[in-house]
Amino acid sequence: MNRPATTRSLRRRAGRKLVRSPMAMACAGVIALYVAAAVFAAFALTPRWPTSHDYARANQPPSLAAPLGTDAFGRSVLTKTLLGAKVSLTVGLVTNVIAIPLGMVLGAAAGYYGRRLDDVVMWLVATLAAIPGIVRVIALKFAFADTVLLDGTPLRLDLGGMVGVCVALSLTFWIGTCRLVRAEAMKIRQSDYVLAARAAGRSGPGILFAHVLPNVMHIGVVNFSLGFVAAVMAEVVLSYLGIGVAVGAPSWGSMINAARSDLIVGRWWELTAAVGAIFVLVLAMDLLGDRLRNALDPKAGKA
Amino acid sequence: MGAFILRRLGQAVLTVGGVMLVTFVLFRVVAGDISANYLSPDAPPEARERFYRRHGLDRPLLVDTSKPITSAAFWDSQFTRHVIDSVTFRATSYATGQSVGRTIIERAPYSLALTMPAMALGWLIALALALLTARCRDTWVDRLGVVAATAGMCIPLLAYMIVGQWLVFRVAPGAAWGVRHAGNIYVPVAIAVLASLGGNVRLYRTIILEEISRDYVRTARAKGATMSRALLGHVLPNCALPILTQLVMAIPFLVMGSLLLESFFGIPGLGGQLVASISRRDVPIVTALTFLTALLYVAGLLATDILYAVSDPRVRLK
Repeated sequence: MNRPATTRSLRRRAGRKLVRSPMAMACAGVIALYVAAAVFAAFALTPRWPTSHDYARANQPPSLAAPLGTDAFGRSVLTKTLLGAKVSLTVGLVTNVIAIPLGMVLGAAAGYYGRRLDDVVMWLVATLAAIPGIVRVIALKFAFADTVLLDGTPLRLDLGGMVGVCVALSLTFWIGTCRLVRAEAMKIRQSDYVLAARAAGRSGPGILFAHVLPNVMHIGVVNFSLGFVAAVMAEVVLSYLGIGVAVGAPSWGSMINAARSDLIVGRWWELTAAVGAIFVLVLAMDLLGDRLRNALDPKAGKA
Repeated sequence: MGAFILRRLGQAVLTVGGVMLVTFVLFRVVAGDISANYLSPDAPPEARERFYRRHGLDRPLLVDTSKPITSAAFWDSQFTRHVIDSVTFRATSYATGQSVGRTIIERAPYSLALTMPAMALGWLIALALALLTARCRDTWVDRLGVVAATAGMCIPLLAYMIVGQWLVFRVAPGAAWGVRHAGNIYVPVAIAVLASLGGNVRLYRTIILEEISRDYVRTARAKGATMSRALLGHVLPNCALPILTQLVMAIPFLVMGSLLLESFFGIPGLGGQLVASISRRDVPIVTALTFLTALLYVAGLLATDILYAVSDPRVRLK
């Protein structure tokens, strides 16, 4: 079917707008580089990491042999940074893959059905939101320290390490998405197309998945980019405090923790590598998220 | 009006009750047995039982299902004790035996000494900068401001902290370490202000720009008001509500202080205490501090909602 350009769907127009923006493409390129680095680290660097210490070469400044210098155990800071990218990207991705669908489904259901369900969901949201920001994440991760789910089965989940970080962050991040989606779903509930679907005899869940959820998808997409940045930053703080990924596992937060008094004695490379890696990733994700929000905003689309 | 306040009060009570439930499930059920952190590995079983008894951990979580369920058994459960401890702040620390209420009273002033100047200064400077960028919209000042704010937002607080300490160390070595001298509080305060600037400037700028595009600003300009006058006299008062809401969200952290800054600079406030209690697995302190932040947050939200309702009748109708 040959549709005129003006009726092209919001999603396709947004995609086109993003591809045409050099800034958005540059950011996407940077993120692709990080993903490549993380995949490379996961397969090529992880096996050799635990035995790579060499005390004879501890605390070396950057050189040809170790482009970003070595840490207090003589391990390559470059390798450590790449392994940190693996941790950060995994946490950012897994957290949002759990949190966004959870927030969207609960928010859409609460907004669409209203009444009791809405009361219960909103009570849950208000309760969790009452413990502000970082304290909530810390409290969750603190409680998870010795928790092992499904022990003795192949699906064993040790919440003490990275899985726990993802679960703690997901339990925190679904709230924002849920609130926004609920407000939007309340508006959609009164729209003509939902009324028409109901008159045609469509069931509640059918309407929810066929009409409500597709129309709040843009909120999920935007919150994914926001949540990714927040998850990366939160993982850094948790690992710095020693309640993030398993102790000793390479992560940008534990790198900052290890190097926290290094500047004063003139060792700048480990801190710089970790902070630089965080800065570039967060900046790229933030700018891309901004472009994404603008592209998906129908009001900005007409300009 | 009365009905509105009553309804909001009811919601607040439900929320606080929910928080108690969450902290109970997290710290008493999920966290499991933490006695290993306070007993030597070869301590006799009696020592472990004494520890349980002292902290009420020998009681049933909710009810003992093996015995007939009586109301006395319910009142004796860990849950009842958790609720009472939460409200009275009378639980005692595993590590020091001090009551959490006393800990809070002793340590909160140190947190306030850090956060009150940091938040007041951070708020004022961010608002001034946001007004400046909005006033100079689409000039190099605005562009530079937005770029700097975005970059500033993407640097973690940890980096500000460590680099800030290093810079101060080079100028005044004594001030960089801890706050043994109360006068040295300016170092963490300055770092807190700087780290919060990026995000706040961007947020306030967005709020102000949204107001600037309204009709009343055009009317004021048409009547001959300068842009600066329109900004200060008309836009700023209308931005007060969203900015105030954002400030209320920060109230819990006034008392809690900055977790990272306090533990890094050795300030004996509540944030540093929380961080220390996490590594010691001092459950009563973590429970009480989590509950305290939630209580402050709910109270702040309730106060703003009531203030909104008093100042704007439309809010009450919702």
